[in-house]
Amino acid sequence: MTQRKRKGGVRETKVRVWDIPIRLFHWTLASCFVIAWFTLDNRYLDVHIFAGYLMGGLILFRLLWGFIGGPYARFRDFAFNYSKVQNYLKDVLNKHPPRFLGHNPAGSWAIYLLLGLGLSVVITGLLTFGGEERQGPLAGLLNFPQGRFAHELHEWLSWLMLGVVIIHVMGILVESMLHRENLVVSMLTGFKTSAAGAISTLSHWKIGATMLVAIITAGLFWFQGHLTETPEQLYQPFHGPALPDNSLWREECGACHLAFHPSLLPARSWRAMMQKQASHFGEDLFLEQDAVNKIETFLVENAAEQGLTEAAWKINRSIPQTEILLRITETPYWIKKHQEISDAVWEHPKVNGKIDCAACHIDAAAGTFEDAAMHLPDDVEATATSE
Amino acid sequence: MNRKLIGVTALLLSIPFYAQADAVSDLEAEYQAQGGTNFNATAGEALWNKEFIDAKKGDKRSCTKCHTADLKKPGKHARTGKAIEPMAPTVNPKRLTEVKQIKKWFVRNCKWTLGRECTAQEKGDFLAYLKNL
Repeated sequence: MTQRKRKGGVRETKVRVWDIPIRLFHWTLASCFVIAWFTLDNRYLDVHIFAGYLMGGLILFRLLWGFIGGPYARFRDFAFNYSKVQNYLKDVLNKHPPRFLGHNPAGSWAIYLLLGLGLSVVITGLLTFGGEERQGPLAGLLNFPQGRFAHELHEWLSWLMLGVVIIHVMGILVESMLHRENLVVSMLTGFKTSAAGAISTLSHWKIGATMLVAIITAGLFWFQGHLTETPEQLYQPFHGPALPDNSLWREECGACHLAFHPSLLPARSWRAMMQKQASHFGEDLFLEQDAVNKIETFLVENAAEQGLTEAAWKINRSIPQTEILLRITETPYWIKKHQEISDAVWEHPKVNGKIDCAACHIDAAAGTFEDAAMHLPDDVEATATSE
Repeated sequence: MNRKLIGVTALLLSIPFYAQADAVSDLEAEYQAQGGTNFNATAGEALWNKEFIDAKKGDKRSCTKCHTADLKKPGKHARTGKAIEPMAPTVNPKRLTEVKQIKKWFVRNCKWTLGRECTAQEKGDFLAYLKNL
């Protein structure tokens, strides 16, 4: 162990405070938080979800490590009560806080808060994923309204967590300045300097290496579809349920345009549309009455009111009960979800205007409209400036 | 046994051609009964390529707008962008095989392109043009 002299002539040694698992946990958790924050757009849902799973796994590991880890990682090393925190903060205000080799009282509370909030964010995220998307281990546990509530909770908790992260970072900067040491570098190298005799923790590099391998393996497994996709067969991270289908509907409606799934409009819209088949957006469909009846039955039975998908539920609740809209693109939910798309994108030859859902939604023909099944054609991506 | 199989396969393969001949000749007879005479491929082709101005929107419309001028190639729906399979029966044997389908598309597409239903003469000319492509 190297020794050096500090101002005042006290002999000090380099002490390993943060073992490798703790450092890996810290920086990976921070990365997950940042990644999750920047993958809010539905298109990147699979990245967001992975960041969430990883965050959950890391926090569970940290809770375990708080009991079996190195001396500075154990909870009993930083189990400070409120009055200790209060005293510490008073000392900070007087610019003379005592130095702690491990976590200080204020920092320890930030850690407990971050662990608690992180876990709550992960749990509400899983509930949202299961309730709104019908995916993940909690798929279908909540219905759509409950899933929406979990979603709002998830967002509020995330903002709260961001607040604690900011306080945590400010605390690090303040303490680094007051003690003239770089705490950020310590969290990278694991080392701090201390008076002789302080205990050094083991590096626990084997556990760290195992964690790293596990994270990389999980990442490769989760994202392998992106590596194997081809332009013809685009990768769709999440598949929705198989929706009711009908060959006559697919054949007749699909002859001129994408066979828009019944779940995309309410029953009253479909009835009106089939009754006016002789003036179908400027065309006379000239379908036989028998075909009209069969198609109408299929449309009405699986209309938006049935809530077969998240999109169906949200489209239906967005339309005032008195309105009979004939275009999916006139529904308030559709408009809201597409408002950021610039005219340049709509006019792009690969997009064909607002009528061709399949230009960007890989699963448009299936009717599921999964959040993560959105994929702008590559040269359209360059046109999209607004996102 | 083997010869029997070949015979059945040949018979099955020839169904589309019989069906086409049937559907087209049935319709030609019907259009004749409605007053059409001497159906003519040249007249059909001219009408196929003719441009019509839409009374409401003022845009130019023609059969080629969606089906393109080369009927052996796939077309593209002018309003929805949906791919349309080639019209020529030699390339796409499903074409002109079902009376119901032909009638439906005549109504739909004549109304959109010409702004009215086609006459029996026009429909007969179209068939004369399309059936030998």
